[in-house]
Amino acid sequence: MTARPNDTNAIVDLSVRLGRLSLRNPILVASGTFGYAREMVPFVPLADLGGIVPKTVTARPRAGNPTPRIVETSAGMLNAIGLDNDGLDHFLEHHLPWLRTVGTSIFVNIAGEDIDQFVAMATQVGRAEGVAAVELNISCPNVSHGLDLGVDPASIRTLVKRVREVCPHPIVAKLTPNVTDIVVPARAAFDAGADAVSLVNTFKGMAVNWRKRRPILANDIGGLSGPAIKPLALRMVWEVHRALPELPIIGIGGISNVDDVLEFLVAGASAVQVGTATFADPSVSGRLVDELADALKAEGVADVKSVIGTLRSNRG
Amino acid sequence: MNEHCTPLQADAEILENHEYRPWLFRMRLAAPAIASKIRPGQFVMIRSAWGNDPLLGRPLAVYDVDWDAAGQAVSLEVIYQIFGRGTKRLSQMTPGESVRIWGPLGHSFDEIPDARRIWFVAGGIGYTPFLALAKWWMGSSPYGGKTVRMDSTASINMIYGARSSDMIPPLADFRDSGIDLQLCTDDGSAGFSGRVTDLMTENWSSLPEEARPDLVVTCGPEPMLAAVSAWAGERQVRCLVSLENQMACGFGACFSCVAPIRQADGSTDLKRVCLEGPIFDAADVAWGHR
Ligand SMILES: Cc1cc2nc3c(=O)[nH]c(=O)nc-3n(C[C@H](O)[C@H](O)[C@H](O)COP(=O)(O)OP(=O)(O)OC[C@H]3O[C@@H](n4cnc5c(N)ncnc54)[C@H](O)[C@@H]3O)c2cc1C
Ligand SMILES: Cc1cc2nc3c(=O)[nH]c(=O)nc-3n(C[C@H](O)[C@H](O)[C@H](O)COP(=O)(O)O)c2cc1C
Ligand code: FES
Repeated sequence: MTARPNDTNAIVDLSVRLGRLSLRNPILVASGTFGYAREMVPFVPLADLGGIVPKTVTARPRAGNPTPRIVETSAGMLNAIGLDNDGLDHFLEHHLPWLRTVGTSIFVNIAGEDIDQFVAMATQVGRAEGVAAVELNISCPNVSHGLDLGVDPASIRTLVKRVREVCPHPIVAKLTPNVTDIVVPARAAFDAGADAVSLVNTFKGMAVNWRKRRPILANDIGGLSGPAIKPLALRMVWEVHRALPELPIIGIGGISNVDDVLEFLVAGASAVQVGTATFADPSVSGRLVDELADALKAEGVADVKSVIGTLRSNRG
Repeated sequence: MNEHCTPLQADAEILENHEYRPWLFRMRLAAPAIASKIRPGQFVMIRSAWGNDPLLGRPLAVYDVDWDAAGQAVSLEVIYQIFGRGTKRLSQMTPGESVRIWGPLGHSFDEIPDARRIWFVAGGIGYTPFLALAKWWMGSSPYGGKTVRMDSTASINMIYGARSSDMIPPLADFRDSGIDLQLCTDDGSAGFSGRVTDLMTENWSSLPEEARPDLVVTCGPEPMLAAVSAWAGERQVRCLVSLENQMACGFGACFSCVAPIRQADGSTDLKRVCLEGPIFDAADVAWGHR
């Protein structure tokens, strides 16, 4: 299915392409905000989504950080979950077989402690069937990799190249916004052959209880997400799209309604991921698919691809 | 997943938002689909239907359900204490406005308690789950469309503890439900002077062995839960705790609400309170282990 019929005479084509990856529509859900998708069955018709990115898996099980792991901030939240997960073997045995039956594109989001571990994990995922793409989480602010992969363009290049050699699935590099110039890591991923980049993961931040003279999160710092970061993420998508118009982008950051979706698409994203919005409005991702088709139809747009990257600067 | 564990999302009209105290409100919501499924011990997440700030839902226990003459569930009631921004926002809302609500969340208490002498021990705002539970187990209200009734010789006693008399909420609903209620305050300004565990010890000593509790159910601030669990553990009385961990989603997607729970093999694993709780066997909770 590549198009959603809205009424008998108007059909909006919502399908998009990102490198080797074809998606039925541009509405995906972001890693770490949708569990392993099972949890979401009561709220979202999963098969309607353009794709699902389950929570990051690591090579071995990880307990994650102590609590408090989250704190609400103005129009957003900080999290320091710390990649709490049961490890890749468990994921491939217990979650992937079910995810494959859901009827939409399944991304597998992996995080390694170093390049070798990433490559070993990608090799294993590369042998698995029913995987639409591998999303490389080189951007989690809540775990220390020793070497901070996501901010070093040379490491990103090596990582993406090596993953391409061992893994036949399309590769998406999920970048951290905690850099001076987002184009630098994006270019590194592009040069090394990433099919797309996901922009962005969370922004490092903190919340303080001044009376106790203590940070609120057990981990002291965490990653900021939600509506508060949307303008920052949008700006980064636009910057990368202008610098690298051939690089497909998945826009992420504070997306909670159909206008947010379209703002990211016109700024240059070929698809988006809904993250924190799911916590405050559990059914939102499913509704956005219909609302996107309706919004495009109302504008007389027959194909969503025709709006991607159509934003023009006011400065000529 | 059991039917009563499958949550729904709805925009619900506020029918009533009654101020008991400047810091304590009771809200009645037109959420019939959720009201008809929810069982004692389960909770809902509630936030304003509009806006981005405050962003997240706030977990609140079901306090009661209202049924019409035909036995159809029509509304859901919660009682909330103003603590921070989200509950403040709820307190400012007026009948006719809408909240976004999702639930029922978490697991309910068992349909029939495997016990004959049950003590409810509540502290602070932790009394809210107990009215529905008492009415359910005593056979007076069919939560989740299910009428249950504990053994006719079984009894429920409740102990409620607060810091001082001015922090005691209205408890008439509990007295009306027919459970025996004892109060205690830390400063002695109402009821027994001391902590809930002091009153529990006093009651215990004054009772013959066959009248002592075989189940304690507790909800309230975490230090109290840990103390009540330890009290029950020392006396080898089964104890259930309802945990109030911080939650972002309430349905298992975010992994923020985890608590350390002992596993069958003796290890401790972090479990999502919203999915696997909020009720746990106290003996399984590894208190103090973050
Ligand atoms: C299963 C469950 C049932 C509950 N039932 C009730 C009830 O019936 N009545 C009632 O008054 N309270 C209840 N609570 C506690 C209530 O959820 C918090 O007091 C409330 O979320 C605080 O929000 P706020 O906006 O006032 O505070 P804020 O400080 O603005 O909250 C910030 C964030 O912290 C979270 N948070 C803060 N304190 C708590 C807490 N004690 N427990 C959980 N999350 C917290 C909030 O949900 C929010 O995400 C329950 C909690 C749980 C987990
Ligand atoms: C609670 C929470 C957990 C997250 N866990 C992950 C994760 O495991 N892996 C990952 O790549 N991103 C993770 N993220 C980041 C999101 O996928 C997303 O990039 C970010 O939240 C920004 O989007 P949003 O503002 O729409 O939430 C997490 C975000 C939150 C709020
Ligand atoms: S509150 Fe999100 S997983 Fe429990």
